[in-house]
Amino acid sequence: MADLEKRILLQDVGKPNSHSIDVYEESGGYTALKKILIEDNKKWTPGAIIEEVKASNLRGRGGAGFPTGLKWSFIPKDSPKPKYLICNADEGEPGTFKDRVLLEDTPHGFIEGMIIAGIALDSKQGYIYIRGEFYKPWERVEQAIKEAYEKGYLGDNIFGTQHSFHLATYRGAGAYICGEETALIESIEGKRGHPRLKPPFPAVEGLYKCPTVVNNVETYAAVPHIINNGAKWYSSLSVGSEKSGGTKLFSISGHVNNPGVFEVPLGLPMIDIIEKVCGGIKNGNKLKAVIPGGSSTPILTAEEASKAIMDYEGMAAVGTFLGSGAVIVLDETTDMVELAYRVAYFYEHESCGQCTPCREGTKWVKDIMKRFKDGIGQENDLDTLCDFSQYMANGATVCPFGDAVMMAVVPIVQKFRSEFEARIDNSEDVQHKVSAAG
Amino acid sequence: MSNGLQEVTEYSFSKKSDERFKELEKKFPEKNSLVLWALHLVQEDIGYVPEVAMEYVAQKTGVSKSWVSGVVTFYSMYNKKPVGKYHLQVCHNVSCWLNGSDKLEEAIKRKLNIEHGETTNDGKFTFSHVECLASCGTSPVVQVNNDYHEKMTPEKLEELIDELKQK
Ligand SMILES: Cc1cc2nc3c(=O)[nH]c(=O)nc-3n(C[C@H](O)[C@H](O)[C@H](O)COP(=O)(O)O)c2cc1C
Ligand code: FES
Repeated sequence: MADLEKRILLQDVGKPNSHSIDVYEESGGYTALKKILIEDNKKWTPGAIIEEVKASNLRGRGGAGFPTGLKWSFIPKDSPKPKYLICNADEGEPGTFKDRVLLEDTPHGFIEGMIIAGIALDSKQGYIYIRGEFYKPWERVEQAIKEAYEKGYLGDNIFGTQHSFHLATYRGAGAYICGEETALIESIEGKRGHPRLKPPFPAVEGLYKCPTVVNNVETYAAVPHIINNGAKWYSSLSVGSEKSGGTKLFSISGHVNNPGVFEVPLGLPMIDIIEKVCGGIKNGNKLKAVIPGGSSTPILTAEEASKAIMDYEGMAAVGTFLGSGAVIVLDETTDMVELAYRVAYFYEHESCGQCTPCREGTKWVKDIMKRFKDGIGQENDLDTLCDFSQYMANGATVCPFGDAVMMAVVPIVQKFRSEFEARIDNSEDVQHKVSAAG
Repeated sequence: MSNGLQEVTEYSFSKKSDERFKELEKKFPEKNSLVLWALHLVQEDIGYVPEVAMEYVAQKTGVSKSWVSGVVTFYSMYNKKPVGKYHLQVCHNVSCWLNGSDKLEEAIKRKLNIEHGETTNDGKFTFSHVECLASCGTSPVVQVNNDYHEKMTPEKLEELIDELKQK
């Protein structure tokens, strides 16, 4: 069962005091930083660091899967403005709980990754944006930052070199949209989390109008391992497509015997992860569907899931996304109408309200789903719902939230339509019931 | 107020919050970045953000009061009115629902006789359902103030409530 796991980012998790700097150093922590700044400082120029990350095929672990080295190369080298690094620890995509493990149980990994990124991008200041509900993880990160300052890994003139890097946390306050990078930047500027129009992209104009890189916690955590063992080693950890390098943390929940966060090579069959890593479906039930990458990714039927490969390309091949690697497993007892309602409720609650199509559309979607949940769906409701896509998705809104809503809800309806049709009320007085239900 | 919660009519940072704020000021080049932080401090001090505290935060961070109230109303963690001593927050998103969060909500309603958003008459408990807390692998989860209580069952939740009642 554990054979498929490949614990690299999670190497310390499970050890007593895994969050402490001592445990991290014992397993080779901060050696990558020492290589870059002292032992091998001729080799590790900023450009060489970026090239190594590019060659590793590391792709952003926050959801969009953008190649990390490429993102870093967009930061202008000649800008006179300060450059900022942000670690996205907002972790709000339903089904996702892997960053919490990194923050709480092994925070020095991504902190070292941020310091290295700081050197590569000539940034002197990083911020870690942690969702407000994560109080204990935040305390752990604060403690880790303190330890890193005490050891001289953070601060001015690290190891006596000309490199300085400072790190501070920022606490969110309960808003899923602040996981979107430009909303997050607005939030650090003390504002409502309204996403910005792009361009300008954050690499050019981000925090305080300065060049900014935003990466996920897990993305930064992979960086020290890439420096220590080389890009080739990292990219060949994966067993599938060339373009998806390394291991990935999967958050697996729902109807499995052994839910949790597992680090495995990218490219494994989804079914192996469910059966072998997570001990199969609870109570010996049959698999019905899988939400593969967080609630915003299109759902897969059991049939589709049985063929799916867990990397960026493999997920695209079955019409969905790897997303944040949040796998929600649904067994045969799952009520798909209730599922769609819960998902729709979430998006309506979390729409930031800036764009009319999203603000109004999420409410309509939720209201329709509520009618089906209450058994008073209308004949034309399902088609109307699918039509909303043209108003809410494909660039109709400032950020991809509108797309996410439709990708989350519409495939549930399309793939399990009969369950919705069974909740249509054809009686004469249905209009009364609908009005009464509000 | 009928539920015994007091409205706050005067406010300035506690000593502890004032020290924290001064520390934080050094970490951000622009003062407006401190708006969210200051509001967290207010809430640590008095549990919610009354009008007077919004004015105070505006003055401390150099932004307008409407900026501050815009922020308070945007973020769900800022309480617009007083909440109970213990805020029971039940996640009702997908994974928690699959693992029985409905039964937790029912247990609270039955035991404390309050609905979502309401506070008990003695001002001790407020109940809210909330969205995914990133605890899906150990669901269902109930957050009580700053602490997560994972793999909750209705029985364990009732015990927890009894325990908190004694405090
Ligand atoms: C609605 C929405 C929510 C998001 N939430 C998160 C999040 O919680 N954590 C995260 O790392 N990225 C999130 N993202 C993606 C970020 O915008 C951004 O792409 C990411 O932080 C970049 O880091 P990466 O390249 O390392 O993945 C979200 C995007 C959208 C549109
Ligand atoms: S669904 Fe409840 S913690 Fe994620």
